[in-house]
Amino acid sequence: MTRADTARPACRPAGRVRLAALLTSALLCGAWTSTALASGTENAPAPVPRFVEEAEKAGIDHVYSGPWEYFVGGGAAILDCDDDRRPDLFLAGGTSPAALFRNTSPAGGSLSFERQETGLPGRLLDQVTGAYPLDVDNDGKLDLVVLRVGENQILRGIGGCRFEPANRRFAFDGGRGWTTSFAATFEKDAAYPTLAFGNYVDRSAPGSPWGTCDDNILHRARSDAGAGSSRAPDYSDGLRLTPGYCALSMLFTDWNRSGEQALRISNDRHYYRGGEEQLWALPEGRPPRPYRRADGWRHLKIWGMGIASTDLDGDGLPEFALTSMGDTKLQTLDRETDEMLPVYRDIAFDKGVTAHRPYTGEDMRPSTGWHAEFQDVNNDTLSDLFIAKGNVEAMPDFAAFDPDNLLIQQWSGQFVEHGEAAGIALDRRGRGGGLADFNMDGLLDLVVVNREAPTSLFRNLGGAKPSGDKARPLGNWLAVGLAQNGSNRNAVGAKLSIRVGARSLTREIQVGGGHASGQSGFVHVGLGVAERAVIRVRWPDGSWSHGYRVFANQFVLIDRGADDVRYWYPPR
Amino acid sequence: MEKARRSAVKGPLAATALVLGALAPAFADEVPLWSERVLQTPIDLASIAAMPMAERIARLKQRGEELFTGKFIRADGAGRPLATQAIIPTKRRRPAHQDFQRLAGLDANACASCHHEPVIGGAAPFTANAFVSEGFESADFDTTDPQFSNERGSPALHGAGLVELLAREMTEELRALRDGALEKARSSGTAQVAELASKGVSFGKITASPDGSLDISAIEGIDPDLVLRPFSQKGVFGSLRQFSVNALNSHHGIQAVERFGAAWTGTSDFDGDEIADEIGAADISALVAFQATLPAPSRKTDLPAVWREAATRGEALFADTGCTACHIPALPLASTVFRDPGPLETAGTLRADDVDAPLEIDLGALDFVRALPRDANGHVLVPLFGDLKRHRIADTREPALGNELLGQRFVDRDVFITTELWGVGSTAPYGHRADQTSLDEIIRAHAGEARESREAYTALPEDGRQAVIAFLRSLEIPK
Repeated sequence: MTRADTARPACRPAGRVRLAALLTSALLCGAWTSTALASGTENAPAPVPRFVEEAEKAGIDHVYSGPWEYFVGGGAAILDCDDDRRPDLFLAGGTSPAALFRNTSPAGGSLSFERQETGLPGRLLDQVTGAYPLDVDNDGKLDLVVLRVGENQILRGIGGCRFEPANRRFAFDGGRGWTTSFAATFEKDAAYPTLAFGNYVDRSAPGSPWGTCDDNILHRARSDAGAGSSRAPDYSDGLRLTPGYCALSMLFTDWNRSGEQALRISNDRHYYRGGEEQLWALPEGRPPRPYRRADGWRHLKIWGMGIASTDLDGDGLPEFALTSMGDTKLQTLDRETDEMLPVYRDIAFDKGVTAHRPYTGEDMRPSTGWHAEFQDVNNDTLSDLFIAKGNVEAMPDFAAFDPDNLLIQQWSGQFVEHGEAAGIALDRRGRGGGLADFNMDGLLDLVVVNREAPTSLFRNLGGAKPSGDKARPLGNWLAVGLAQNGSNRNAVGAKLSIRVGARSLTREIQVGGGHASGQSGFVHVGLGVAERAVIRVRWPDGSWSHGYRVFANQFVLIDRGADDVRYWYPPR
Repeated sequence: MEKARRSAVKGPLAATALVLGALAPAFADEVPLWSERVLQTPIDLASIAAMPMAERIARLKQRGEELFTGKFIRADGAGRPLATQAIIPTKRRRPAHQDFQRLAGLDANACASCHHEPVIGGAAPFTANAFVSEGFESADFDTTDPQFSNERGSPALHGAGLVELLAREMTEELRALRDGALEKARSSGTAQVAELASKGVSFGKITASPDGSLDISAIEGIDPDLVLRPFSQKGVFGSLRQFSVNALNSHHGIQAVERFGAAWTGTSDFDGDEIADEIGAADISALVAFQATLPAPSRKTDLPAVWREAATRGEALFADTGCTACHIPALPLASTVFRDPGPLETAGTLRADDVDAPLEIDLGALDFVRALPRDANGHVLVPLFGDLKRHRIADTREPALGNELLGQRFVDRDVFITTELWGVGSTAPYGHRADQTSLDEIIRAHAGEARESREAYTALPEDGRQAVIAFLRSLEIPK
């Protein structure tokens, strides 16, 4: 008798089990017929959450629409605009007005939103392509940076989900361009954030649209504007980042752990000539400069549309997912040399995230990827990747039916597509979006802004049965909210190190990336089977906090300098 | 052959929930009657759950006792060559040199190896101490140096089902207080202070703010999530199920699917011993049921008059000296229905949300529960002589019970849950390290929050102290 002969299954099938049944069957043995820990195959055992689309029921009735200028864009800003800590939604509308929806979802219940009057002139809400939440003036209230076809707007939050135009107050010239991307960071010792706006085609240029990509603009607040809530930032100095190559996503990143943020820009090759993906250095007190071949930067041309970053391999350096037409890229820093050069290697194929064509249906043409976001949707500690997909309009060489991706990371490091099993494979042209826990139950829900189709709002039911609507938890989780006084109240640029057992999970608070979509609020962390964790915060100025001991399945608030966290409980 | 056999186990079907009873005949054919294996055909929990309560309990106890007393062998999955003792699945940096090793484990063949005095499920003397390490760093320690592990005695499990039920009810009450304070703070717009008390035990207070945040800096003896965790010497484990899953891995290298299975680790053989899916949810339930139904300790009934009289006087002195402030004679229990999984489990231990309906065991159907007194509300008075609360139990003047160097699960090194004294007359030696040889010694070792009571005890005349001992010695686990 070999040892293997003694292998003893803890459970076995009572009869033949069909594949469909396997996909929804539970992991656990016993008489229970649970699906809460449903897994796919031996090679993809990570739990697959079940999403149900309930936008209409939740009160979200919104479409992103418009002609050519709105083939791109279609963003969502996820922010708490009424100080109840629940994530509210601001949705770009293109030629339809952008709309603000206040979250009224009870904790753990169905999703529920109410359309909210913003107090803004209607003209400012037209021609909106995207939006990012950010406390620009350090007054403790989130503002909205709104990207438009036309003058971009900084909308100053004044509480109660109301906003006021603030371009003049902040001496901000919103330009007249066609803005499709944004990112923000707090540079060293800066009182106010540095804002980067990515523009698409310069429609007024001769020969437009081909080869007429507009410049991007960097706004550094004047250093004499001072800090504190009594003063307003002065963005009168705008720097042109020339050349621009039709930026559809941009993200500040400390790509080399130098402590200095650089600006990564993903560009659409469809319209540029001689362009490429870009990385701009932002030396302290000096003008930005693009990394070039001599710096190690390698030429890459893609139909870049969305950026997401996370540290997949735990080396302290971010990996970047870049959406495109056809295959998605997943870049990791090539550490072949001792020097820290911005040389990236594509590991998308190795990791299974190319997502180059629809994973279901009969349409075998290449996919078109837009918003990208790493999040742990099943709370197993491993970052998963969501990609919004959809044909630009009616491009014949690309898939017409192009469902969004939900690539679930496995313990092998591979990602496995589970968009269909998760229930998000709708026939809609996705653009921007975001994952956030709208009903505060520890499971990340999903909003997707679709072009010329209703916005999708998916409630994550976790391990719920296919026939049931009762959410069932997956792994344990944490939601972490950071706050500090003075400048940069929401700790943009902070890094979180969450220790569970012998592993450290990392998160970074960023403003930018995705596709015209950003969010602010709790940082979600899947904890798997850990019942507790220790959180350390590297605040934006580089100083580390002590370890905060926290219990799982909680919302925790960390105020800089506090001895202990505060626990927070959502309204029921 | 070996490969093929393993793949049969580790294929997709191994990760499928099934009604297992239908397979019994096939397994019966495979396992000879003289098999040494403990984990054979898992029980058919669905059919057992449908049985009348008495029969249900009997069947579960029978299987649970087999699992509790069975000496696991490698074919069962004993051994964890590539996994540490950690509660969170953690790989070893290198394979273990020895499968068995009394310090870092494996340190036991069966649950009963360390829970057997005076009967199965009971305690054990110093001989059977366990060396508790989180298992994340320095998992392979081979020294009793307390910088690597905390040395702990094995407590008796009798009455554990009632203890868990008390803890669940107290957690529910405390959380209701918290939720009420939060709701009131939100609706009133002003901060609300709420005293946290359940069943007469105070756990400090909380302050709820109108924004929904909670100041927990003034809570006492409980974790910030207000889950009362009654098990282990430290009071850091919430349920018999959670503890069983932990202990099976730590002490035996038997890894439960619900914690170490493919969903949470990506493999059905996390510990690398070539045995997949070692113990399933149904067998864990049987193990839990066995422990939950172990009779609660009681009092000696055949005492000679002189002892009886001393014990009566000693019980009064026990109260007079303030010992009952923490060793509360009895706590009221509203419901005797033990549901498995319980309502407070988190991922990694089977949760109520993971199943269609938890298994129900009405402890009220057991004779020892029927025999317990009830209060005016009809609640069962559980005579545990404890408060299910953690206390600092050492100070600089008397550091004996503060001997540990490592905190555990966020609880300081010199803080322990009040030991339930029911059955203390059967479970010498004493203290969390089982190194206090007599009751007098362990009482004198109390300090910290217990200093006043300890001094009241030591101030008693000799016959008074003897009376207290007589009382404590009358609390027994029946043989």
